[in-house]
Amino acid sequence: MNERQLFVRDALVLFGLAGWALALPAYASEFVVSLALTCLMYVALSSSWALFCGTTRYLSLATSAFFGIGAYAGALALERLPWLAAIALGAGLATVVAVVMGAAVLHLRGTYFAVLTFGMTELIRHAITYFEKSVTGTVGRVLMVVPERDTIYLTVLALAVLAVATSIVVRRTRFGLALQGIGADEQRAQTLGVNTRLIKTAGFALTAAFAGAVGAAMSVRWTYIDPPTVFNPFIGFQTVLIALIGGALTLWGPLIAAIVFSVLAETLRLQAPQVYLMALGLLLILSVLYLPGGLASIRADTAKGWWRDIRALYEEKRYEWSGEKARDKRRERERRLA
Amino acid sequence: MPEPSARPVLLEARAITVRFGGLTAVDAVDARFASGELVGIIGPNGAGKTTFFNAISGVVAPSSGRLVASGRDLSGQAPHRYAAHGIARTFQTPRVFAAMSARRNIEFGLRFAGRRRRRWIFWGEEASVPWTLRSADGILALIGLGNVAELPAAALTPSQQRLLEIGMALATRPKLLLLDEVAAGLTEAEIEEMARLIRRMRDELDLTVIWIEHAVTTLLRHVERVIVLHQGRKIADGPPAEVVRNAEVIEAYLGDEMAEDDA
Repeated sequence: MNERQLFVRDALVLFGLAGWALALPAYASEFVVSLALTCLMYVALSSSWALFCGTTRYLSLATSAFFGIGAYAGALALERLPWLAAIALGAGLATVVAVVMGAAVLHLRGTYFAVLTFGMTELIRHAITYFEKSVTGTVGRVLMVVPERDTIYLTVLALAVLAVATSIVVRRTRFGLALQGIGADEQRAQTLGVNTRLIKTAGFALTAAFAGAVGAAMSVRWTYIDPPTVFNPFIGFQTVLIALIGGALTLWGPLIAAIVFSVLAETLRLQAPQVYLMALGLLLILSVLYLPGGLASIRADTAKGWWRDIRALYEEKRYEWSGEKARDKRRERERRLA
Repeated sequence: MPEPSARPVLLEARAITVRFGGLTAVDAVDARFASGELVGIIGPNGAGKTTFFNAISGVVAPSSGRLVASGRDLSGQAPHRYAAHGIARTFQTPRVFAAMSARRNIEFGLRFAGRRRRRWIFWGEEASVPWTLRSADGILALIGLGNVAELPAAALTPSQQRLLEIGMALATRPKLLLLDEVAAGLTEAEIEEMARLIRRMRDELDLTVIWIEHAVTTLLRHVERVIVLHQGRKIADGPPAEVVRNAEVIEAYLGDEMAEDDA
């Protein structure tokens, strides 16, 4: 397929999926819709995460910071502003924080970057907790004005579609090419004329804007928010895990993995929360070891390849354990002596 | 062609010093590179050749000293500013984008530092770009990788990757090309081929070429001027025939090689 056909295919798949998700509340049960909402939230979070962090390999754990900032901004603004303005405010505030945070940490790589983004998330969480306790004198806030369930669903759906559409488009632009170059060899990209600092800040801010908007849209679902809920580091970890298991370099990987995850989460979390966490860990280990490209890299012959590997291992072990290997060795030795 | 001294100076390094902690890797090196020159830089291991290169291509910020490119002071700026001012470089170990095809590797440079706002062929900025550098195909043909253009760069042989590395630098449409040990590890025939390519690029594309090489004899045969670095300092600067007679150079560098030849 050429570039254009691929683009049309991706756009059509996205269109179809969006239509299906749009029709879901009309016939599905309350439980399925709430499952779909979680799923869409993670689609938006991990697609936008993979857009920057996947291609450039800057492993950011700050998603929960942006999510929380968006949630707080949205929840507080909703008393005075209309719904969409509150979402935009959440996204904007998260972007501003990402630009400041990016200026401080985006020149670091690898573990240092990951740890510092995580540290900054904790810093923001504790700063807000302290502010709430000492200035406003509360530990959490009860939301009075809450939009209808369908409004929330549509907003999160729109954000998820926008996140995937952004990934589709960005891959084909100079911005996307620059991100790829930074991921492959940052210094080389720089000597070829990429303003890496600007591109990285823009990418980080884009990721943060999505996380902030999703946070603002999801906060109203809880009706009561406090820092431990909205700055929950698990949101950030899960976003990263979903993107990695699905394939951080692929377009559909985060989406596929988000669906798998939310189904797993909803079915396992209530009955056996420990099993759910173990399943997460196990999936991550398996995908890193056997599917480095993620779930989205599975093709028709992937399973065939595994089957071939297993057969080869089995043949080798049978040769060894049947004693045939030892016999062959002995014969070889006798032939040499003779 | 006018005398080298009459041509405009493209890049001027004024007392460039690079320190790493207590070690002074490059010590107050002055150098002027005029347009159209083919200059070699030699020096024993650890003489600071690559560090000097990193400093004049912006990869390493010099601890002190100034870098002036066509009258514009670039000291302390990010590497992409150097690329935008027509300074392109290759790296000692090829640093190609392994997952992209060879053509995409070339297009990368064309789409960033090599991008010209006006695409008109007969006027605008594109008109000053040599014909060979206008498209990825032209560059691939020049470096002789036209038949492997669609292969991922990781699948190319090391010598092909080195050529691709030069192609990527050319794609930024440079005025000054910095080559870091492009002939290291090549066979004698390949080195000759590389030297011919370098001369050809200089002549056909109006480039100024600065070429670092560890193998002195090859380099001296092909360059017009040579700068010798020793322990971070510049100890000689002149035509190869003069430089090899310089006592300090013989002692610092050629001495041990000649002693080996005698033995």
